[in-house]
Amino acid sequence: MVKVYAVWIVLGVLFLSGRAFPENEPAGSMEERIDEIKSLEKRIIELEQQQKILARKWEIEQQAAAEKAKASPVVTATSKDGFSLKSADGDFSLRFRGLIQADTRSVSGSSGSLADDTFTLRRVRPIFEGTLWKDIDFKIVPDFGGGSSSLQDAYLDFKFLPEFKVRAGRFKSPFGIERLQSCSDTLFNELGLPSNLTPNYDIGAAIFGDLYEGKLGYTLGVLNGAADNASIDSDIDNNKEVAARLFANPWKGEDSFLGGLGVGFAATYGIKDGTSGSTYLPTYKTIGQADLFKYASGVVSDGAQERYSPQLYYSYGSFGVLAEYITSSRKVSKAAATEKLTNKGWQVAASYVLTGEDATYKSVIPRKPVNFTEGSYGAWEVVARFGRLDIDSDTFPTYASSTSYPETATNIGAGLNWYWNRNVKWALDYDWTSFDKGSTKGDRKDEHAIIGRVQLTF
Amino acid sequence: MNIKTWIKGIMLGILVSAIPGYAKEIKLLNVSYDPTRELYQEFNKAFAAYWKEKTGDTVVINQSHGGSGKQARAVIDGLEADVVTLALAYDIDAIAEKVKLFPKTWQSRLPNNSSPYTSTIVFLVRKGNPKQIKDWDDLIKPGVSIITPNPKTSGGARWNYLAAWAFALEHYKIQHPDQKDAEKSSEADAYAREFVGKLFKNVPVLDSGARGATTTFVQREIGDVFLSWENEAFLAIKEFGADKFEIVIPSLSILAEPPVTVVDKVVDRRGTREVAQAYLEFLYSEKGQDIAARNFYRPRLESVAKKYAEQFPEVKMITIDAVFGGWQKAQKRHFDDGGVFDQIYGIK
Repeated sequence: MVKVYAVWIVLGVLFLSGRAFPENEPAGSMEERIDEIKSLEKRIIELEQQQKILARKWEIEQQAAAEKAKASPVVTATSKDGFSLKSADGDFSLRFRGLIQADTRSVSGSSGSLADDTFTLRRVRPIFEGTLWKDIDFKIVPDFGGGSSSLQDAYLDFKFLPEFKVRAGRFKSPFGIERLQSCSDTLFNELGLPSNLTPNYDIGAAIFGDLYEGKLGYTLGVLNGAADNASIDSDIDNNKEVAARLFANPWKGEDSFLGGLGVGFAATYGIKDGTSGSTYLPTYKTIGQADLFKYASGVVSDGAQERYSPQLYYSYGSFGVLAEYITSSRKVSKAAATEKLTNKGWQVAASYVLTGEDATYKSVIPRKPVNFTEGSYGAWEVVARFGRLDIDSDTFPTYASSTSYPETATNIGAGLNWYWNRNVKWALDYDWTSFDKGSTKGDRKDEHAIIGRVQLTF
Repeated sequence: MNIKTWIKGIMLGILVSAIPGYAKEIKLLNVSYDPTRELYQEFNKAFAAYWKEKTGDTVVINQSHGGSGKQARAVIDGLEADVVTLALAYDIDAIAEKVKLFPKTWQSRLPNNSSPYTSTIVFLVRKGNPKQIKDWDDLIKPGVSIITPNPKTSGGARWNYLAAWAFALEHYKIQHPDQKDAEKSSEADAYAREFVGKLFKNVPVLDSGARGATTTFVQREIGDVFLSWENEAFLAIKEFGADKFEIVIPSLSILAEPPVTVVDKVVDRRGTREVAQAYLEFLYSEKGQDIAARNFYRPRLESVAKKYAEQFPEVKMITIDAVFGGWQKAQKRHFDDGGVFDQIYGIK
């Protein structure tokens, strides 16, 4: 009986819900539901299409943006590379960098052309570098230091291969290792005594490159032929000078004690025929930029000049040392007298980075740039040097005055460099230079030069 | 013959055999429009083999593909093409006009107005043709979603647009049988403008080129109908299956004549003129025409056209010269900035 009652109860429920007797349902409701379902299906399909359309539009926009980015030039401003503009494919670029060196100089002793103690802008150089057509680099560097304007670098490099490149224009003669350092990277504020024997900027052409994965570099150039410690813009005679330099880093890239060792040899040979108007003869300077040596009036360069320089740079961790030995021989004449004179110089300059960064041929890059609030103080480097310059004793008295210019100058220097970050450096040097002869009273007075510098590079 | 003579002969033989062969590697860049990738993939292999056999030299052909208008602009902006094989003559004329890389008479330098093959515009629809699209006037019905590339960048899209316009003019003419030259009247022009306007209102996405539009329709499954190059439609069916798509031939379409030319200043600078010329002439050879037909381009060569006659359906085609007075007029009126398309599509 319970089962019968249960069945009736179920049937009753079904009747009330209309499901038990579908033939009694109103005729349109099932069709309406089916239409409703179809309409919903259609709506879902439309929504799916809308979603796909939106996704596709987004995809197309992204593709267009990516294509546009490929063709767009890249503009950057960084502490390392200054301000630069580069084409999307990298084949064209222009970099604007700069160098400002503001000095304070106090020099005592020495003699002659000693400048007053002064503040001075030693160098103010806008630097324009770039690349054209991927394989042609250029560099143009004017200088406005000291209130005058001059041209330093102005050259093109044609990069045929890493092993073979051609440079043409105005550039540093490939000779002295200290002279070849960028003026923002030198250990001391002024170059050492032997750099007096090296040519500075010259005009000509050179081939150069790196061999054996950069372990051997070479340069071979033909240039107008600058005098020692001088730059030249146009030749004084019809002769040219050949300059060659080889520099090897045999253990480059190896994690060894010798990994930072570089040794090289450079030489120049040229004929320099001076005249009374353009003698083709050098003037040497002390560290304090007083006149160290000049040839007497009436003396001209008369024939071949040869220079040789074995040179070395070594660094291991925070310790670095630079050394060079230079001879510069030339024929000079005065009236009927002719002589071959050989001047010699050498120096050893060492550095140690107190804060632990690596010493390099280039500037120290502090691990922690100066930030006083956070207690970081950049990188500190102590430097020292010992150097000497010998004038050929046969120079005196015919070709130069022994009471005006010394036969020998010996220099000891020490300094402290504070690298705020990769762009700013403070430097303070003290150099003591003693002389043999060069005065009417015997030896010229010792020179004491204190040179401080604030330097900005970008 | 004494020993000295023998030695001389042997030494000469060694010398001669040591002389390197004069075979060289030549590179060409073919800047083409979007849907020709498969065509030139096959064609380039065949031409390289042909040239190797003929001269011993190796030819490497690099391809660049994109919307025809975009490609022309790339060449104008400095892309160094040895040959251009674009969708329509106007795009090649633009190169001649703007940067003078070849003479303005370029089109007369090769047969058939420098068009080695032709094509036309068809409709690609979903299998079963759920929206029952049979002709152009079905495209403007509400709820029909059309895929076509952007006429500002794509050559194929410009053919699509002009085919639709031509249909509208013809349709107006049919509706006004008593009006003489009805299709040339200003009312017909207004009718066509309205027709094409309604068509583009049904376009949800504009790709820059034909291949992008194929991706939108076929792979992204957007749209009910794709206004397609005939070859693209066949390729889609071949690649994705006849169970997914079918081709609808409209009552009227347009004869598309994609032209080709050597870029004189580039080939003369690079020293590739001889190869570039031979490359384009090979398109007209029996082998080249066969490759074109296999890739669903309508060949010009009679013998090859007969061989593939069954592959290509009968289509009533108008020409751009007959209806629009040529590409210069059509481009200026419809596709230049501020032209009819910009006005229809609302681009400022």
